[in-house]
Amino acid sequence: MLTKTQAVDGAAIKKAIEGRDGKMLSSFYTDDALVRVIDRNNPPSKPREIRGRAAITTFWDDICSRAMTHKVDTTIADGNSLAFTQACAYPDGTKVFAAAMLELNNGRIARQTVVQAWDE
Amino acid sequence: MRPIETRYARSGDARIAYQVVGQGSFDLVLVPGFISNLDLHWEDEGYSRLLRRLSAFSRLILFDKRGTGLSDRVDAHHLPSLETRMDDVRAVMDAAGSGRAALLGASEGAPMAMLFSATYPERTRALVLYGGYAHFHKWVMPPERLDAFIEMAETAWGTGATLPHFAPGRVDDSRFALWWGRFERLSASPTAAAALARMNAGIDVRSVLGAISAPTLLLHRRNDARVDPDASRFLAKKIPNARLVEVPGRDHPIWTGDVDRVADEIEEFLTGQRAVAEVERVLATLLVTRVYDTARLGDRMWSERSQRFQETWRLLVGRHGGRSAGTHGELIISRFDSPARALRCAAALRYAAQEIGMASAQGVHVGEIELRGPPVGLTARVTTQLAAHAGRGDILASRLVADLATGSGVHFTDAGHIALDELDEPLALVLAMSEQHLEPACHAKTRPAEPTALTARESEVVSLIADGKSNAAIAAELRLSEHTVKRHVANILLKLDLPSRAAAAAFSARHAGPDGP
Repeated sequence: MLTKTQAVDGAAIKKAIEGRDGKMLSSFYTDDALVRVIDRNNPPSKPREIRGRAAITTFWDDICSRAMTHKVDTTIADGNSLAFTQACAYPDGTKVFAAAMLELNNGRIARQTVVQAWDE
Repeated sequence: MRPIETRYARSGDARIAYQVVGQGSFDLVLVPGFISNLDLHWEDEGYSRLLRRLSAFSRLILFDKRGTGLSDRVDAHHLPSLETRMDDVRAVMDAAGSGRAALLGASEGAPMAMLFSATYPERTRALVLYGGYAHFHKWVMPPERLDAFIEMAETAWGTGATLPHFAPGRVDDSRFALWWGRFERLSASPTAAAALARMNAGIDVRSVLGAISAPTLLLHRRNDARVDPDASRFLAKKIPNARLVEVPGRDHPIWTGDVDRVADEIEEFLTGQRAVAEVERVLATLLVTRVYDTARLGDRMWSERSQRFQETWRLLVGRHGGRSAGTHGELIISRFDSPARALRCAAALRYAAQEIGMASAQGVHVGEIELRGPPVGLTARVTTQLAAHAGRGDILASRLVADLATGSGVHFTDAGHIALDELDEPLALVLAMSEQHLEPACHAKTRPAEPTALTARESEVVSLIADGKSNAAIAAELRLSEHTVKRHVANILLKLDLPSRAAAAAFSARHAGPDGP
């Protein structure tokens, strides 16, 4: 878990995502954080919005309960902005690729936009 | 989009067919009822709609239980226990990489899902039980009715004979009835079906209900034809964290009836958000055709004629560029892009009903309807009321239809007004008459005369006229008096309805054959 003084960075995110550590991931967010997901079913004009730490915790618990591999390839940090790409694979071979852009507030994620595409 | 892949999970010695569809952040496993077939589901409009709705917010995992559909066949005389089949759910989840999932158990799938949830609470995110029950004999059918059902399944399996037991509201839908027959044949063999029915009859999971800790949504159709709604009321009392929602309808399969209503409830329960209503609306012309005369025809003849009429209806609607939009008992609904097409189709349907020997009365109205799903809003209700108000053989339309059909050649007469509760002002009505053509009406032609109408002697006379001979020459050749020849010529012109000798000559030339005219 993060302490109040420790800021979220690319390395922490990489470790939590690749280790499928949902608890750790949800601790990175501010209480009123907003995660927006854009994909086939959630187009840019109507992205899926996950608001608040409770909903975000459920979101990461769901994702991390899947027996799949995640690899965080690139992380870029620039002041309060952070970006990374993530390549995932299900046991049946289905691949998912996601790119995320994050805005930090006092070292925690306040806003995150994920764009993802699935094999289909 | 690539076709949905069917994969096989290994569960003990058996291979369980499964499909994964959707990109949601959580997994939803659909545990099917009595029988299923992964490939066939996508061919039914209601089933594929349900699957698309569910997979829009989840990663939906579908499978066929062992012994059914695309999964391995098993010894029909030694079918696996409920526990073994429940373990197939775990095997499929493992293969699909799902550590934790919401389970949607439909009908017989509900007891399996309950057992799974009680056994693997850490892998159950939430539970949705549709038309479920904990004890077969108490809420589905008593032992004596089960024997009759099994006997029917053994003798008539594959013909769709079980449909009235599951979805009585779809029995008149000939297309669905055919699909149901295929559904039976492709989902289980006759022996397996009978054995499955017998095995399901042994289901009693009442003792595990208290051990279910997952948040649970219970859905049941209020007049469910297969499973008594009391079954879900009992579950609501016994499952600690359960909520019951009763929805209107009597057809039991989860993919029949108001599928959207069921999907809305499930989506809201699992995501916390109500589905955004699909508010895409379009202007359309609706035609409601009411066929009747049941009392006069008797049930059997009615059923035969009704089926014939429905087949004709689908054909005619397609031919007039419309879409069949559903049947409700004696009411048949079609949808068109233009009022003129709807009116022409209505006229063709009126004629078809007459030919088949049924009475028809029709209503046509134009208005906005939702782009997807059957028309159910105000426009549909008004059209249905017009059909109810129409007299025998009438095509009763709102004045708006007539205004929009100006120039189409369809002729209307004023039919007064009708006051409808839902409309502020009375609706102006017209009756559609037959099409009015600009050219004068043609009189039916008299039947063309046939050469055989002439006697042998008259035929000889016609041949000689055609040769250009005079009455005197003909008289000489046939050894008759000239007076007799004159009488023959007069009779010939009368019989053939011809004005002159020249016309008779031309007639002879036209009809000359090897044996003469």
